[in-house]
Amino acid sequence: MALSDTLVFDERLYDAQVLQKAAYRSINSLTVDITSTGGQFICALSSNIGVDEPSFLTAVQEFKKDVLDYQLRHRLNVETQPIKNLILGLAFSKTGLTSE
Amino acid sequence: MSKFQKLEFYAQQQTYELLPFKFDRLNDDEYVITNMAGEFHVIPAPMLEPIISKTFALSPELIATLRSKQFIRFTNEQAPLQLLALKIRTRLSRLAQFTNLHIFVVTLRCDHSCPYCQVSRQSESKGEFDMTTEMADKSLDFVFRSPNPAIKIEFQGGEPLLNFEMVKYVVLEAKKRNLKEGRDLRFVIATTLSLLTDDMLDFCKQHNIVLSSSLDGPMDLHNANRPRPGRDSHQRFEEGLKKARAALGYDQVSALMTTTDKSLPRAREIIDEYLRLGFDGIFLRTLSPYGFAIKTKKFMSYDTERWLEFYKEGLEYIIELNKSGIRFVEQYSAIVLTKMLTSGDPGFVDLMNPAGAGIAAIVFNYDGSVYASDESRMLAEMGDHTFRLGSILEHSYEEIILSDQLLDALENSFTLSAPMCSDCAFEPYCGAEPVYHHAIHKDVVARKPESAFCKRNMSIFKHLIELMGSDEQTKRIFMGWANRC
Repeated sequence: MALSDTLVFDERLYDAQVLQKAAYRSINSLTVDITSTGGQFICALSSNIGVDEPSFLTAVQEFKKDVLDYQLRHRLNVETQPIKNLILGLAFSKTGLTSE
Repeated sequence: MSKFQKLEFYAQQQTYELLPFKFDRLNDDEYVITNMAGEFHVIPAPMLEPIISKTFALSPELIATLRSKQFIRFTNEQAPLQLLALKIRTRLSRLAQFTNLHIFVVTLRCDHSCPYCQVSRQSESKGEFDMTTEMADKSLDFVFRSPNPAIKIEFQGGEPLLNFEMVKYVVLEAKKRNLKEGRDLRFVIATTLSLLTDDMLDFCKQHNIVLSSSLDGPMDLHNANRPRPGRDSHQRFEEGLKKARAALGYDQVSALMTTTDKSLPRAREIIDEYLRLGFDGIFLRTLSPYGFAIKTKKFMSYDTERWLEFYKEGLEYIIELNKSGIRFVEQYSAIVLTKMLTSGDPGFVDLMNPAGAGIAAIVFNYDGSVYASDESRMLAEMGDHTFRLGSILEHSYEEIILSDQLLDALENSFTLSAPMCSDCAFEPYCGAEPVYHHAIHKDVVARKPESAFCKRNMSIFKHLIELMGSDEQTKRIFMGWANRC
């Protein structure tokens, strides 16, 4: 029988893409249904076939950590995206591979 | 007259801006952060969020480290941007040179019948599995269309020595064409050495051909892995090695090993055998999911975890050897460490992004088919022609290089836009590997959390970083591997 758990995340604090990325990373242990209601994201977690309880509990814990990591990555990306584009522009503008 | 700036100019700045970087958990207590060029630093887990939020007064030492690796910059500093751009351009410079390695499968015939053989070899007498001169000529036309100033032609099989006349033809013809072309032209024969004759060695010596061979470990293991009539593969290897070294030079013969389930408990013995035979390194390889390895279920006989144990045990022993004064390299680690510790890219096809298929290496098969990589033709021998780019007899260079089969695979597997890879701190060290993922998952990207390639490499990257962090002497040894001449 599939094991399950439900986690709730405040929409003001978390980006939907962050939850999707964390869910993707957990895909080999569990699946996540994400819904949005009343300013909250509801994540319904179900174990994959063949995943035992200790492994599922570990995977849930990993999912929570991944959500925090991806939220931090999201903040970092938003802040550094313009400069990232500038650096890539600098890098590829001097390859000599493109004509004017 | 020039004047120094005022004193305030030199005062230590404390406010900083973030530069783009990625991070991943190294273990429960630490994160590894990597900049856009792949330089890394390990920080305690509780420090990551405050660094990004800028709510933590960084020590002058940490500021210096983070600045020197371009994770942060002081406001309006321009040099970090120029440095990162330069390092990225250096790392990717190999791409502009295009295909270097051209593999000629001169025959599929082989005197061995290895159960894990990845190219589904044919018996020795089947002549229809030999490359023709017309195919060789057309393949050489293709080779010299590559803009790369360095061209390597590698002969593979089967056992290429069973069609040595074709090897000779290609070498002589290529050298003739190169009189005009002036490329840095090199030749390699991938051979078991079992059929090596003095005449062949004379030819190799005359044309500076190096030999790449196979050694799976001590005699009983090697012979069990590599059956041939007479059960004497190892003896023939050792005799061939001695002769080849005497004729061509000691360092002109290399060896590769394949790990089977029988190898797993014998990491140290395998390394000792390489040492006994005078090699200065070993490539601890996994079994690839192609050819007979699949048909005989050999590929399924051990899992990634077990292979990682084998790799870590072997690496630990190799580090011990180096600490005791014996210089010996684990070559896969050396490739990864070169990517971690320098701005260079060793150009190892499995660990390239965009994938090395077609644009770093290309294969001309015995039947005239052109494949995106050695693994692609192995897959084709299993009936999957996904990465067959065309026929050397029927298609032009442009038709093959610009084929949808190649461009789609390169574009769709690009790690900087692949799910999970695009956020991964280890992405600069990893590769796209569309052929592997297609072979296993029927998808050139695949779900990375389910990918043994991802799991294996992620574990190796973390292991190498942890080893460097835990022991200064190991770090020095690794730096030596990464900066080999």
